[in-house]
Amino acid sequence: MKQVSEIKKDFPIFQRLINGKELTYLDSGATSQKPNIVIDSMSEVYKQNNANVHRGTYVLSSETTSKYEDVRNKFKNFINANLPEEIIFTKGCTEGFNLLANSLCKDLSEGDEILLSEIEHHANIIPWQMAADKYGLVIKYINVDQNFNLDMDHLENQLTTNTKIVSLVGESNISGMLPDIKKINKLIKNKTEALFILDGAQLVPHREVDVQDLGIDFLCVSGHKMLGPTGIGVVWGKKELLEKMDPVYGGGDMIEEVFYDKATWAPIPHKFEAGTPPYVEAIGLGAAVDYLSDLTMAEVQKHSDHLRLYAKNTLENINGINIIHTDSENAGCTFAMSVNGVHATDISLMLDTFGVAVRAGHHCVQPFHRKLNIDATFRATGYIYNDEKDFDTLANAIEESLKILR
Amino acid sequence: MSIEAKVEQYKKTLSLFPNPQEKYQYLIEQAKLNEEFPTELRIDEFKVNGCQSQVWLVPEEREEKLHFKSDSDALIAKGLVTLIASIYSDESAQDIADSEIDLMEEFELGVILSPARRNGAFSMLKTIKEFSKKLAD
Repeated sequence: MKQVSEIKKDFPIFQRLINGKELTYLDSGATSQKPNIVIDSMSEVYKQNNANVHRGTYVLSSETTSKYEDVRNKFKNFINANLPEEIIFTKGCTEGFNLLANSLCKDLSEGDEILLSEIEHHANIIPWQMAADKYGLVIKYINVDQNFNLDMDHLENQLTTNTKIVSLVGESNISGMLPDIKKINKLIKNKTEALFILDGAQLVPHREVDVQDLGIDFLCVSGHKMLGPTGIGVVWGKKELLEKMDPVYGGGDMIEEVFYDKATWAPIPHKFEAGTPPYVEAIGLGAAVDYLSDLTMAEVQKHSDHLRLYAKNTLENINGINIIHTDSENAGCTFAMSVNGVHATDISLMLDTFGVAVRAGHHCVQPFHRKLNIDATFRATGYIYNDEKDFDTLANAIEESLKILR
Repeated sequence: MSIEAKVEQYKKTLSLFPNPQEKYQYLIEQAKLNEEFPTELRIDEFKVNGCQSQVWLVPEEREEKLHFKSDSDALIAKGLVTLIASIYSDESAQDIADSEIDLMEEFELGVILSPARRNGAFSMLKTIKEFSKKLAD
């Protein structure tokens, strides 16, 4: 991969000083920073092409539409989907889960089971809880063991003929855990007819993802965590499944024919994209895909693995720190931390005074924090624009902060 | 001392610390000096909602004036609630209810006092104001 110092130059935000110090941005798990190519691609649409997509019979609309639809193709290649129409644009990963939960659960029967894990993001819990309430479904959770990995035996035991949906995180935003997706997929397909949904919010920005090779049925992606703008995400699903599903949102652009008493739906993907889509954001996401593809995801993944090992060693040396991080050889560069007797919010506020941006709280994984009996953690995540120096700065700032806080 | 005078005094003190780190250190010192809160009062009834850390405020009436006991499990938040509690303590419910000072505007405390309605400091002030209004009415 190109040098981190070179990559940083592509991201204008790193020119800013925070409290008089260079910005050490370690909150990419919440949102990534944006390279010029993304920002420029969006302002170019507004300056040069802007018109509503689809059906416009003039130059601007045709240009915008083709830029927008090109992104579908780019994203198809990025995750090695079979067809561009399997890429559905949403406003984010959360909307993706809501779409799937609403559309899939209405065809289930009372008592059918949805299997999640104990370490899921709220976006992969709440939509299922809401659907379960509505349709009388049962939600079960796979245990996460003391090394912050999925308990594979428990997973296997939880799979029954009643299991209709399994929805799991691809890379944990707490422990960096990377479940063995292919192995889990085999277990699911051997024992059940359940659909397997993968939460790609953290996985897709950091690692090579090949949906066909993984064998999953659906993938939810967040655009803003992978250098793209906010307000855009992707749901990928197998064509034959998407075609069977009913749309969740009604309005313009998703219809074929409308009568006063009924309507018929447009083919996929448009059936799921009611109203004017966030086409400028989608085009920004396309530029983000270009940027990552230029680096190559193999190199991005290698960088994440290298940085994660360095960060792990560096952070483990801090006296009195508890790190919630998987003991697996492979993991994401994400570290949720706590220090006995010191509140995570105090640490993150102090770190800010050193120009270090981390997050404090439950990171939208409240039930798992409750299970660990921890009120809050502070979390550092590394990405392509971070290097060893950033984690040295973090470790040093944590130690300095603890001197004041203890 | 009136609410306004206390705010002025704190403003003066805080202005002695030019950078956020020193300001936080000042708040941490205030937190460590505040030892009046009995652990048994750390209950939901007195919890201030909307703070990232847990914050408790207990209002008491002492000779027709109000007094606020305060606590938090985080030091910087405790320093902040200690400061806010001391501004409004030993004042009448009416004076507190009438006071229109916007602490968010007055104090430069960086990210912890950003004027957002979901901000913890906003919730602390709201708790004090609502209690005082109820008594004043």
